[in-house]
Amino acid sequence: MLNTVNTIAKQTFKATFNNKATLALTILLGLSLCLATYIGWQNFKTQNNQRLHYKELVRKQWLAKPDKHPHRMAHYGYLAFREKHELSFFDFGIESFAGVSIFLEAHKQNTVNFSEAGFSNGMLRFGEISVAMVLQVLVPLLIFFLGYNSISAERESGTLKILLCQNVSWKQLLWGKTLGIISVCLSIFIPLILLTILLWASLSNWHISSDSSFRLLVLILSYSVYFFIVSAITVLISAFAKSSKSSLITLLACWIFFIIIMPRISQAIGVKIHPAPSKVEFADAIASDIHKQGDSHTPDDPHYAAIKDSLLKTYQVDDVKKLPFNYGGYIMAEGEKITAKIYSDHQKELNKTFEKQNSITTLTGFINPYLALKNISMALTASDFNTYIDFQNQAEVYRYQLAQKMNKLQIEKISNIAPGEEEKPLAISGKNWAEQSDFNYRFQKLDAVIANGLLALSTITCWLLAIIIFLQYASRWIKTIS
Amino acid sequence: MKQSIYHLEFKLFFRNRSSWIGIFVLLITGFAGLYFGKTFIARQQAVIEKAAVLQKKNTLNNIDHFGKDIGLLFYHNKFSLANSPNQWAAFANGQRDVNPYLISVTMLGLEGQLYDTDINNPVSLLMGNMDLSFVFIFLFPLVIIAFTYNLLSEQQESGVWSLLKAQTEKSFAIVRRKFLIRLLVIVTVTIVLFIVAKLYLALPVDFTFLSVFTLTILYLSFWFALSFFFISLNKSSNFNASALIAVWVLICVVIPASLNLFLSRKYPIPEALQNVINQREGYHEKWDMAKEVTMKPFFEHYPQLKKYPFPQEKTFSWFWYYAMQQMGDDQALESRMAIKHKLESRQDFTHLIALLFPTIQTQLGINKLAGSDLDNHLGFQEAVRKYHEQIRLHFYPAIFQEQGVSTTDIQNYKLEKYVPQQAISVRVNLLSIFVFTTILLGVSILNFRKVNRF
Repeated sequence: MLNTVNTIAKQTFKATFNNKATLALTILLGLSLCLATYIGWQNFKTQNNQRLHYKELVRKQWLAKPDKHPHRMAHYGYLAFREKHELSFFDFGIESFAGVSIFLEAHKQNTVNFSEAGFSNGMLRFGEISVAMVLQVLVPLLIFFLGYNSISAERESGTLKILLCQNVSWKQLLWGKTLGIISVCLSIFIPLILLTILLWASLSNWHISSDSSFRLLVLILSYSVYFFIVSAITVLISAFAKSSKSSLITLLACWIFFIIIMPRISQAIGVKIHPAPSKVEFADAIASDIHKQGDSHTPDDPHYAAIKDSLLKTYQVDDVKKLPFNYGGYIMAEGEKITAKIYSDHQKELNKTFEKQNSITTLTGFINPYLALKNISMALTASDFNTYIDFQNQAEVYRYQLAQKMNKLQIEKISNIAPGEEEKPLAISGKNWAEQSDFNYRFQKLDAVIANGLLALSTITCWLLAIIIFLQYASRWIKTIS
Repeated sequence: MKQSIYHLEFKLFFRNRSSWIGIFVLLITGFAGLYFGKTFIARQQAVIEKAAVLQKKNTLNNIDHFGKDIGLLFYHNKFSLANSPNQWAAFANGQRDVNPYLISVTMLGLEGQLYDTDINNPVSLLMGNMDLSFVFIFLFPLVIIAFTYNLLSEQQESGVWSLLKAQTEKSFAIVRRKFLIRLLVIVTVTIVLFIVAKLYLALPVDFTFLSVFTLTILYLSFWFALSFFFISLNKSSNFNASALIAVWVLICVVIPASLNLFLSRKYPIPEALQNVINQREGYHEKWDMAKEVTMKPFFEHYPQLKKYPFPQEKTFSWFWYYAMQQMGDDQALESRMAIKHKLESRQDFTHLIALLFPTIQTQLGINKLAGSDLDNHLGFQEAVRKYHEQIRLHFYPAIFQEQGVSTTDIQNYKLEKYVPQQAISVRVNLLSIFVFTTILLGVSILNFRKVNRF
């Protein structure tokens, strides 16, 4: 049984490379893949180096700040840059559409700005050439061209009947053809993977982390499964089609529908069902919640008046100026705590809305293997929505710590008695600034990525199982003679 | 006689189930594109309306809170300018999802506020919008290919062709007739979609309408010409289908995507990050410097403000504070100009290569006409700059003299709307596509003649 499958697979593989047109197409695609890998690698290096350069500059400037009031430093704030994962040269994902830098300051949460898309004049909308894009979008097209007549041509030339008479079962034929086509794909995919590993290793300066290795391993597995699914679909459609022509047209129509049209529509539906607030609405909702909680600007706000009273009671003084610490700093720390909490709650809700929007696209993975793979690929190369949100969260945590650290310095080291209008402002030593460590984004670990991408992974697993079952039992419905 | 032949050809065409499927797909996706495009733009309009109400409310709130200290009031109070979408933006959403359409700024340093983005779902940006222009640019060509790829080869493969050739001397006329019928069907579908768009989106029938329509029709003729060219090569149906799809993939996906990658490699914009740093340093470092360092260049920038007495002896004054903020912007001028030049180079490069690729050309042309391209956004940014400057100069005197808030007309400031001024012409776009179409048609006709099959 296996022997026959093997023979058919080998035969298909050889036949493909005997055909000059398909050989040319395969080589062309292989070359463009190498090019995409190289460009992706170059792009990664330039962009990441830029960000690292500015990251260092920001740190240097922060440390070089002279003696001053800590609250001035809280407003001077910090600039954080979104670093790229070393595997993101493989798949650009949302990289170009997500912002790069965020300004972190006291009292205020800013947006992540300067995405590549913001500088684009619309060309970006045609897509981006990355290794992942070629593998996800163009390789299926190659598989279709390779396999659209794999069975139908045998039927048209009459060899199908002969094959089936010679003790070859339909099951063997379908498996053999599928494996033959996959082996053609693998003949470009395997060298490409080797190249990817090489470049990736050089990007990480030959210090290969186990986390990234596992990411790459799952990535390779997922793509192999994808090629298997696409090849099997091709062979099956060729087996079911009336003629080679109708097989080709069906496959091309599928390609257009699943790869070009469906992602847009599924996302548009997600956005329509789960509308997200605009920036003004978002800001307004936060402002009114803060107003409800208490307003540190109004002197007789009940919340802050209560704090004041309890402080005066505890320290048994009659004026906040007599407190043994800086009262202004204390109030600001309290204000920061309240506003940051309210902001985070709203941000969480917003992210949930975005996740709901995206879940429609993830769910369509059950009917569209392209979207199933796309989601997995972005997650593994850390160029997906979750990584972006994770960056935002880490940046916000850093912002909050920075603001509170400066408040703490003010509470402890700044006099409670404000200087006069024409006196020198209060300040603390510039050596204190080093206490605030640099912002370093930490990528999620693989187990977190897998946990997040469970739905996407299950979609592709479903596809794999469905296809295997279909290859095993499809022969019941296939006609030998059209 | 001639009438009836066309009649028969039409019958033949519509007897084919796939013809109906093609038309049906175009109409359904066209309607879906209109619906989603309009939903997207209607949302922006609704947000702008809401922002106008909030603008008023927030100003009153701020006066209530900070009204005793004019400097503090303007530290908090935001002024908004909206890039209101015109009706065509629903036809082609373009870059309107990426770029903010509402910019609210305080009187502080502008460079630190101007580039703030809207809150967006990056996945939606990645997947792209579903609008009618997408249907015309990406899907119509595919249906054109499906309608025409086997126009001649099918006849040959089924053996009808030799019969036909035996019966008439003008076999070219048969191909032409079949071709014209398909052209007519596609043009009719296009017109239907344009009429529905006109009614649904309330588009005015004006020069813009005419331009978009002409551009679309020309673009579709380009694809007909391309298909015609492949037919003229007289290859098999499978070859035609594969080759045409390959060309579609090349000029709708691979080439634009590669060019874009090349573009961002050739003109990277690290200046954007530099600009943030310059602005931030330019302002914050002044706190630790003598007031002279701030005030001298400030008065050089605005000699007309010299007449207001500067409280030199005070440790802190709003006069000094706003001047320091101004220094942030002034010191970011160089990097800001660098960004501008980089973007201009990008635009120039794109316009140049677009001459060679009708797909890019059409996309850019329609976005431009719909006011949803990068130029429109840059114009909007420029308008925000002007508006901000005007507000600054208007309120500086009151702040510098620490007058009461009631002496100012801050309450009269409403949300303003940006109206692009320059007239938009897509003559170059039209011409370049026209040239391609003509060349392809010419070559195809030569091909038909050369082989002398007819």
